[in-house]
Amino acid sequence: MARFISLLFIPQEQNNHRALMLSPSFLGIFIAIYLLNQSIISSLTMLKPGILGYSSEITTQKVLSQTNVERQKMGLSLLQYNPVLSQSAAAKATDMFTNNYWAHNSPSGKTPWDFFKSSGYKYSVAGENLAKDFYDTDGLMKAWMNSPTHRDNIINGKYQEIGIAVVNGILNGVKTTLVVQHFATPLNAQVAVKKEPSTQSSEEIVVEAPLALDTITEPQIIPLNQSLGTSAVSPMISPLLISKIIGSIIFALIIIVLSIDSYITLKNNTHRLTGSSASHIGFILIILMLLIFGRQGTIF
Amino acid sequence: MIILKEIKKHSLNYLILGIILAVSLFLLFYFQLNFDVRDERILVCSTAALYFIWSLFHHHRRGDLQLSVILEYFLLSLFAVIVALTILV
Repeated sequence: MARFISLLFIPQEQNNHRALMLSPSFLGIFIAIYLLNQSIISSLTMLKPGILGYSSEITTQKVLSQTNVERQKMGLSLLQYNPVLSQSAAAKATDMFTNNYWAHNSPSGKTPWDFFKSSGYKYSVAGENLAKDFYDTDGLMKAWMNSPTHRDNIINGKYQEIGIAVVNGILNGVKTTLVVQHFATPLNAQVAVKKEPSTQSSEEIVVEAPLALDTITEPQIIPLNQSLGTSAVSPMISPLLISKIIGSIIFALIIIVLSIDSYITLKNNTHRLTGSSASHIGFILIILMLLIFGRQGTIF
Repeated sequence: MIILKEIKKHSLNYLILGIILAVSLFLLFYFQLNFDVRDERILVCSTAALYFIWSLFHHHRRGDLQLSVILEYFLLSLFAVIVALTILV
């Protein structure tokens, strides 16, 4: 056993002066292990949707308060929570799950403004921010504030009210948390400049539980501190996180073995027909950085 | 010392690789700041493809381009692409 481990990690005559773990066969095994893990994750997600999924700590209250903190920093007035706008945002999130899309406009041509109107909110100016797969509110707000168009919505002085929806569901076969912000100013309110709704405005409604998507087809007033439905099973493990961890472990292992291999080979001045370890390390480090520092979630 | 000798001997090859990796790293952070997943996916796939092409160029110039070497670079590049496509969803 010790001999085999030595052959795996240390270049020597018996393994043709190349750590066995760096051989094409072992690289193939690593790929197979990673793909097998992906298959297991996909199967579990499909068969037992409650086991794997995004464990989101995002709440309506946190999104609202952090949005207002950003506005305060800019010296703007605080946005008032509007349950009707939240209803509109929840309807949008539900529509995305029901019709399996991730965009401002639905495949059937529904625009964000249709949700405002169908919830009964009359606006002079309005907008929408979308996000999915974020673990926490800090990451979500950072993403929005780093995007000029989403930032413009958050710190837009023309908006007076906000509705937020945080909804869990299955999108493209994967358990996902969607966050929708709907921003607006009522039609009868005084605004600096009246204009057509911008595509970057956001309205927020927070629904924090996995929903049967048809549960919010009927208009409901959603108080700020109340979730629409409750989660029976709170998903604790993110499939993406598992993939990242397994990928990082494999790449880190390859880098360690490459380093040992390079050190011993250079020390012994061994000449052999293999790839360049130094270039492999450089290339893998970039992929490893993607795995370690890769951002969470997507915004739209 | 040996590494420096090797880099000096094939300075053009390593300069090209250095540029490929540096530009990729810069763009990776740029896309992450801008939360552009689609561009990140394209970037990782392009970097992997360029790395594989570089390996052919490098080993051809060194005169040690063998099937086992090609396979090694191909599998490593393929693994990076698979990981990127599954992580950047």
